[in-house]
Amino acid sequence: MKRLWNIFKAGIIYENPLLMLMIGLCSALAVTTNVQNGVGMGLAMTFVMLFSEVIISIFRKVIPNSARMPIFIIVIAAFTTIIDLVMKAYFPELSKSMGVFIPLIVVNCIIMGRVEAFASKEKVLDCVADSLGMGLGYTWVLVGIAAFRELLGNGTVAGLQVMPAGFEPILFFILPPGGFLVFALFISLNIWLKGRMQKAAAKSAAKAEEVAA
Amino acid sequence: MMKDIVKLGLILAAFAAAACVGLAFVNQATEGQIAINQEKQLNESLKGLFPEAEKFNDITKELTLADPAVKLEAAYLVERGGAPLGIAAKASGNSYGGVTTVLVGLGLDRRIAGVRVLDTKDTPGLGANAAVPTYFVDKTSKTTFPGQFTGKALSDPFVVKEDIAAITASTITSKAITKIIKASADAAGARLEAIAMAPPAPADAAGGK
Repeated sequence: MKRLWNIFKAGIIYENPLLMLMIGLCSALAVTTNVQNGVGMGLAMTFVMLFSEVIISIFRKVIPNSARMPIFIIVIAAFTTIIDLVMKAYFPELSKSMGVFIPLIVVNCIIMGRVEAFASKEKVLDCVADSLGMGLGYTWVLVGIAAFRELLGNGTVAGLQVMPAGFEPILFFILPPGGFLVFALFISLNIWLKGRMQKAAAKSAAKAEEVAA
Repeated sequence: MMKDIVKLGLILAAFAAAACVGLAFVNQATEGQIAINQEKQLNESLKGLFPEAEKFNDITKELTLADPAVKLEAAYLVERGGAPLGIAAKASGNSYGGVTTVLVGLGLDRRIAGVRVLDTKDTPGLGANAAVPTYFVDKTSKTTFPGQFTGKALSDPFVVKEDIAAITASTITSKAITKIIKASADAAGARLEAIAMAPPAPADAAGGK
């Protein structure tokens, strides 16, 4: 149980796919112009990652090493198409505003990376924990960046007017350069958080040792 | 060696076949709902352009666009009580991020009854704002980008940044959509003129008013 929790936890801060592993940034910067897109993209990614990792983990012993890449792509593409169709059918508005970025999940390096580095070697339950952790890590960063950019760049959060009427939106934050700037701020925030958590962990470990001695 | 290739091929084929079967099921389950959504969206948009409309006659084959870069998807002659109210044309053309589909309504007075952006693949937060009902090109009068076309006459210039306000930082999108609107409105105008010259069904002469 403790092991699963540790795997799950790793994706959120320590090995956050966007802020520490720094992969899959392109679509992450492109969709984070409003909060709904951030939530939608995060959940869609988590769904595809969860099912791709589970399927590949189940079949990891029968997937031949030399043909693993095409098989990974088939599995990921299948689940991406499923989420694309489901969103078109039941969330047409969200699907419309995310446009081409949902089909592009197929080539997202986070999923490919986790499948290659983790799911093709580990047990099914570990993969569930890993994909949920990575998915949550991805989603919180997207929503955070999106909220920041939408607030300053459009005066709204999740489509609701937050800034007073006189507020002149700073367009820079909606444009790609603003995305990079906010992204950098989130990286430094994450490194600071990680440092603090490591210090706290070291302290409690030292205390535990003292007690044991 | 040969055996290996066959074995790999078979394994790959098995995965592909399983994925296909799965997708076929999901497609079957969602297909109907997606079609309903699209039809509902089109009907709502048509009703929004012509609130008094009772009937939409498909006249897609009777409209020709002068601009080859704009593709006519569908056209409807809007009627109420047998008398035409105008023409609604659904047309698509290339914009910044791909194909954009627009619905244009033209009234009998040769003025645009309204415009809806049905589908856009442009950048969310920038070009995609063309389809966002809360994005205003004119904040004081709460006019959306497609909303500003309502009431425009066919004889107007339709030039972005002159008589058309552009979406901020999305000039390409603004120009592309304006071009689609202009092309389909012109075609609809020509067709309306032809109908006015030769009334198709003189069934009810008094119904003109």
